[in-house]
Amino acid sequence: MPTTARARPHHRFRSPVGALLLTLIGLASSSVATALEVRIAFIGDQDGDGWRGAAQGIAEANAQGRFLGLHYTLEPSAGPAVDADVSAIVTAVAAERLAPIAAANPGRAVINVAAADDELRADCVPNLLHTLPSYAMRDDAETQWRRKHPESEAVAQAWHADFEKYAAAQLNKRYQAGAGRPMSDEAWAGWAATKAVADVIARDQRVEPAALLDSLHGDIAFDGQKGAEMSFRDTGQLRQPLLLVEGGRIVGEAPVRGVVDTENLDSLGLPSCLK
Amino acid sequence: MRALFCLLLLLLSPLVDAATGRVFVSNEQDDSVSVIDSATNEVIKTIPVGKRPRGVGIAPDGSAVYVAVSGDNVIAVIDPHTLEVVRTFPSGDDPEAFAVHPNGNIYISNEEDAKASVLNPATGELVAEIEVGIEPEGVAISPDGSRVIVTSESTNMLHIIGVPEHEIVANIVVGARPRAATFSADGSTAYATSEISGEVKKIDVASGKILGRMPLADDKAKPKDVLVSRDGRQLYVAGGRANRIFVLDANSLEIIKAIPVGKRVWGLALSRDGKRLYTTDGVDHQVSVIDTGALDVVATVPVGKFPWGVAIDD
Repeated sequence: MPTTARARPHHRFRSPVGALLLTLIGLASSSVATALEVRIAFIGDQDGDGWRGAAQGIAEANAQGRFLGLHYTLEPSAGPAVDADVSAIVTAVAAERLAPIAAANPGRAVINVAAADDELRADCVPNLLHTLPSYAMRDDAETQWRRKHPESEAVAQAWHADFEKYAAAQLNKRYQAGAGRPMSDEAWAGWAATKAVADVIARDQRVEPAALLDSLHGDIAFDGQKGAEMSFRDTGQLRQPLLLVEGGRIVGEAPVRGVVDTENLDSLGLPSCLK
Repeated sequence: MRALFCLLLLLLSPLVDAATGRVFVSNEQDDSVSVIDSATNEVIKTIPVGKRPRGVGIAPDGSAVYVAVSGDNVIAVIDPHTLEVVRTFPSGDDPEAFAVHPNGNIYISNEEDAKASVLNPATGELVAEIEVGIEPEGVAISPDGSRVIVTSESTNMLHIIGVPEHEIVANIVVGARPRAATFSADGSTAYATSEISGEVKKIDVASGKILGRMPLADDKAKPKDVLVSRDGRQLYVAGGRANRIFVLDANSLEIIKAIPVGKRVWGLALSRDGKRLYTTDGVDHQVSVIDTGALDVVATVPVGKFPWGVAIDD
């Protein structure tokens, strides 16, 4: 390429093929420019599983978004307040930091992926959502399990890296490839947070924070790759099945078949806000 | 249509496949295909095919039965007359669902690679690859061959692909975990199931608009295969864990009947005359045969472990 051509880039392509190429590049960049940008903020440790899971969810959101003219970014933030055009916030912080973050962002979804504290659910903060199961959900799952298997010492988890049913194997493979480690409970919760946000945006294209929060509180029929149709309770908690794990192996699922109705996800934890 | 084609071939050539009337069922956990004689509803042979067979399809000229052997990453080719595996060819990683185009090519979803592939089964050649969403699964081809639908299960989307360009012409967001789709006889309408949201959607193919939605009556319903009756008036939906076939009005999507079958029903195949519907009842290791006039089960046929796909050479 001659120097003069580099100095005058609009004359760079003199052949019809070159002109066509330039047009195609122009079209490609203009289509990127018209993609709707969706900003998700992340408050918490960027070297933690919550971040890694959320980043995996963002990668999958963009795999979907490229077909719909949507592009997502995950931006670290110190909090508690974020820019006005941030659609939602994912947090991987201790329980005591959540109330100030929720209060600094009224009408904007704050999705907790790291704190299992029951009080956070019982408080029923309208813009605080939780994809990580609460302690009470895990306790209920273990209690159900022990009614059937009294000798078992199984513990309840949100996720397991060996889980294969319901396309869990595919999610585990994607996460292992992306994050270079097995998917933990917090990583699953981080993934579920950004994936759920992207799924509702794909459906109704509402990215303004209050509209998105409203959508998330609806009948979202979220596929968390655990076989069940998930949605958020009015407590903010994501309804979900749990896994029973003993000696590192998955031994069962809750709600536990033969003990409760397996479709009744509200048999785990606080089902709704205390009136 | 194929009968007419076969008749023409019969006049032109001695090398013609008369339809055998055999039903081919893949047994996911038995590494085999059960062959049922549709006249007697009895298994006449069980063919070992390799690890974890799932999707089943028939060549347009009836000369071959294709089986996606997921564990071996191949398509096995069975001769419908001799009932032997005559050859295999590479399919890409972990083949699952596929459909056979009127031109003979196989359209298959590559779940791990977020792609759909077009294979020429005669040569084993990879004709084209199309990038789609995450965990592509169901594949449907319009009767005239001009449109292909691939469902992306984790991306919750139907991709409508133009043929022969092999470019996506529309992306339609549907309910969670779309597993299967089918076209109406004139290709103008498509129907798709979503497993996690437990519903069926009706789509206008030209505009990509969703025309209707029907949640299945049972909370346990996790629908998979969907087919249109030959007269175009009814839909048959395999209800998964609901252990029933839902029969819907193809126009209004209203549920006409729920027919009890075996446990975890996934696969469906309809006879050419439209009178018999075959279902794979995975957990009961059986195929149910439904009389579509009476909308009742007329036979259950024990097959291998966890039957998955089914296709009829008729």
